[in-house]
Amino acid sequence: MSDIATTHATKGTIGENASRPDGGPKVRGEFAFSGDLWADGMLWGRTLRSPHPAARIIAIDIAAALRIPGVHAVVTAADLPASVNYGLEWRDQPVFATDVVRYVGEPVAAVAADHPEAARQACEAIDVQYEPQVPLLDPAEAAAAPPIHPDGNVFRQLTIRTGDPSARGPIVVEGAYEVGMQDQAFMGPEAGLAIPADDGGIDLIVSTQWLHNDRLQVAECLGLAPEKVRLSLGGVGGAFGAREDVSLQIHACLLAQRTARPIKIVYSREESFLGHVHRHPARIWMRHSAEADGRLVSFEARILLDGGAYRSSSYHVVANATCFSAGPYKVENALAEGIGVRTNNPPCGAMRGFGAVQVCFAHEAQMDKLAEACGVDPVEIRLRNALATGDRLLTGQVIEGTLPVARVIREAAALPLPPSPEIADPMTRPGGAGRTADAAHVRRGIGFAVGFKNLMYAEGYMDGSAARCRLSDGLATVTCAAAEVGQGFVTLAQQIARTVLGVEDVLLAPADTSIGSAGSSSASRQTWMSGGAVEKACQAVRAALLQHVADRHGIDPAQLTITDGRVTSTDARDSIDLAVADAAPGVVFEEEVEYHHRITHPLDDDGQGDAHVSLVCAAHRAVVDVDPDLGLIRVVQVATAQDVGRALNPLQVLGQIEGGIAQGLGLATMEELTLRNGRILNPSFTDYLIPTALDMPEVLATLVEEPEPGAPFGAKGVGEPPTISSTPAIVAALRAATGKALNRVPVRPQDIALGDGE
Amino acid sequence: MKEFGYERPAHPTDALAMIAGVAGARFLGGGTNLVDLMKLGVETPAVLIDVTALPYDFVTDDADGGLRVGSGTRNSDLAAHLAVRRRYPALAQAVLAGASGQLRNMATVGGNLLQRTRCPYFQDVTKPCNKRVPDSGCPARDGEHHNLAILGGSDLCIATNPSDMAVALAAFDAVVFVEEPAGPRAVPIADFYRLPADEPQRETTLEPGALITAVALPALPWAANSRYRKARERASYSFAIGSVAVALDVADGMVRDVRIALGAVAPIPWRAYRAEQSLRGQPATEVAFREAADAELEWAQPLRDNRYKVPLVRNLMVRTLIELVQAS
Repeated sequence: MSDIATTHATKGTIGENASRPDGGPKVRGEFAFSGDLWADGMLWGRTLRSPHPAARIIAIDIAAALRIPGVHAVVTAADLPASVNYGLEWRDQPVFATDVVRYVGEPVAAVAADHPEAARQACEAIDVQYEPQVPLLDPAEAAAAPPIHPDGNVFRQLTIRTGDPSARGPIVVEGAYEVGMQDQAFMGPEAGLAIPADDGGIDLIVSTQWLHNDRLQVAECLGLAPEKVRLSLGGVGGAFGAREDVSLQIHACLLAQRTARPIKIVYSREESFLGHVHRHPARIWMRHSAEADGRLVSFEARILLDGGAYRSSSYHVVANATCFSAGPYKVENALAEGIGVRTNNPPCGAMRGFGAVQVCFAHEAQMDKLAEACGVDPVEIRLRNALATGDRLLTGQVIEGTLPVARVIREAAALPLPPSPEIADPMTRPGGAGRTADAAHVRRGIGFAVGFKNLMYAEGYMDGSAARCRLSDGLATVTCAAAEVGQGFVTLAQQIARTVLGVEDVLLAPADTSIGSAGSSSASRQTWMSGGAVEKACQAVRAALLQHVADRHGIDPAQLTITDGRVTSTDARDSIDLAVADAAPGVVFEEEVEYHHRITHPLDDDGQGDAHVSLVCAAHRAVVDVDPDLGLIRVVQVATAQDVGRALNPLQVLGQIEGGIAQGLGLATMEELTLRNGRILNPSFTDYLIPTALDMPEVLATLVEEPEPGAPFGAKGVGEPPTISSTPAIVAALRAATGKALNRVPVRPQDIALGDGE
Repeated sequence: MKEFGYERPAHPTDALAMIAGVAGARFLGGGTNLVDLMKLGVETPAVLIDVTALPYDFVTDDADGGLRVGSGTRNSDLAAHLAVRRRYPALAQAVLAGASGQLRNMATVGGNLLQRTRCPYFQDVTKPCNKRVPDSGCPARDGEHHNLAILGGSDLCIATNPSDMAVALAAFDAVVFVEEPAGPRAVPIADFYRLPADEPQRETTLEPGALITAVALPALPWAANSRYRKARERASYSFAIGSVAVALDVADGMVRDVRIALGAVAPIPWRAYRAEQSLRGQPATEVAFREAADAELEWAQPLRDNRYKVPLVRNLMVRTLIELVQAS
């Protein structure tokens, strides 16, 4: 456990609702997002993308593009000085397509020009001769189809086998489920500025989730030593997994190298939809068997994830989907088979919830079916099967940390219900601003769901984060490369430094590659990993400060402590009582550390192994009003209890909960990229619908605090759980209101009513 | 976006001369649709002639008791106008049901009348579309058509008109005033839009270079009992999947007169003449309303993924009629 100094006199420490350092500028419109980047003499980069889901490239002629006034460079794969492939976990994706294109939107060339319009004209003038091929679009056919990539069509096939999968209880329920392709739909499109440096290297300012991984991929493709590629974080307008893969980074740096001019690239909204990965669409089959009282006997699952054209993080999404396919429930006998395949659809990868979202929609529908078959209340059946510390996961791993599943279920179920629809504000009825539904026709449904997943990376990945702390006359400066993508890490870093050092003035140095990697802002890991690194660095500085004071006074530093912002001695005879700011005038303390979590292990051939660092759970209860004649719905309230370990900043936790529920509501009722022949038909915010403020329900939240052993301050990551079980809770409520099966999300008006749903 | 010229004339004669003089010139209102289409490459005008400086920003009373709305009137101003809200409430409701506050502040009445379909194939220049490129084909019939037409489509095109405002204007028999090269013309809204038939690229009966100057709402005292209802896939800021504008005149439990127009179901704002005809002189009952809706919708030709629109607009019509009876 961490050593927590109780410095109540120091404001803005751990546990308080400290305000975000970037909050004011963002609200006032003064925050500089990466799209605002500018450099004198810069050129505009633009990417030419494939219009075909599958085609051979016969020839690329750039001559006409180069003749356009203002065009400074046109680059294709032939211009790459070193590696021609990149990829987040596996380098299987061409920086520019060479002989074939494998999805609509795949980069083929890039241009740099002195005006965006000249760049656009240049892209149009590039003559690419394609020979279209028959695309592989059905993921169910991918494994058996001829390979569309040298690495084959299967990203991963994972089988988890435990106990006797043929065991059967008297009650059996079965179902097939489908999840559409959701987009992260962040507000700030991809943007970056690459600046060539005098030493032959490149400085790149970019909105990303992981500076050091981007740097490695850029360096490999440009043939530069990693230290010659220096990245700084540009202002990030949301990420949710979509900025984990490289988008424009290599293109911008290559153009900067070629032209010796700064290159700015900013995607349009349409290009953004083409330029990042999406949530894997899923087809899932499950069969549960149970005793008459609802206790699970066996579990079987088959999970098919469409990974699209390139691997991205598909390998690990398959692992998560399969490992957590049974939900947070005890089951001794199981056979779960997950497969992620390559197709000519747009690439899919990380998105908030990372595989757990898709299977949660299925296992929670199954738990409701089971409750009905057993005649047991849906909340009660979940309680009867709830996992707890000491139980085993499907993978055989014994849960050693906290996992208060039963408690989050009880706490969520205990929250008050909303008023009846008759007295509700008409704006909050189905149909919203159209005031389309009237109270007499509204039917109400209530649904419940529970979800869980792991924190941090898994399966033996050696994860770490570096941080540096500098203390000088009471001013602390914290340096860490953790990407602030909106989650509020910058606030936590300040709170941690204040707590450990007893000072209120904490500066955050820019996040860049001048320090070691902080890892990715994903997998709900930064509070733990980089929070842990910041804590450790601050503790090292604190120790050095106390040593310094002890040396000056000729006492044992073990007698010194920092309390209420003052250095004092536990031995009253020493009469030491110094403000931290005055404790060592003119002396600079600086320490840099690395933080690692405990070691995990790969899964074996039966999918067994101690693969996960820590687990987190949440329960959601949704109340939904439906106008079944018009197919209109309104999510009235979502009540949730979430396992947070310890809330380091309760207001920020609530922000994550509300945002995650919005995204879960989106998947439940409206968000889907519509594909035809591999092409996204709705790449705009007019046609890809995400919830508006008026679609958001009232959110009630209980934070369940059971500190996690081994986690800094006992805190768990909180970003993902709100997205996992909110979707199935809302759909369960829709089922309750309509009596429809609703085996696919998003649920559309035509699914819940109007006679065309089933 | 392709480069384009920009002009902002202050006088209608200058605007008409400019559009006649330059090939590929287009009038620009609030820019909330045309500019989006330019970004997508669907529209590539050589010159934009901004008409928002022309003297067409007004709402005035007509001598016959109707209202006249200038084509440059912003949608927000139209919806907020007291006379519109009192005398043609369905029009104010329809305008407010569309887009967002920011867009309504920019969008003009003339531009709203001419906004283009949201059909995904029309907006995607890499796909065939008979409306965008005549004779190139229509993938919608077998493809993504869940929000396309169930009425009035042709083999060549099943795009839907996306306007909310125009649905209410259709119900109120609005008249569109235009300046054309041949001179001024008053076009009843029933003659303003064209069904696609074999020329889906022609959406209105306007001559090339026509400038919309105003829209007249004829006097219709019982239009005060009117309502616009819109169903959509989220609570705000989205296009209709079905909508109705209804005005009802009831006396002694009998329907004296009625106006019904449907949105998001046809390539034009769809005036439900058959439903109206079957209702006039009938008792104002739910049974009669259902029969009237069926009389209109038996002509529907839904496709695989837009069948839901038939019961949706039927239920919208019936509910709205019942509500207007209760309000009478």
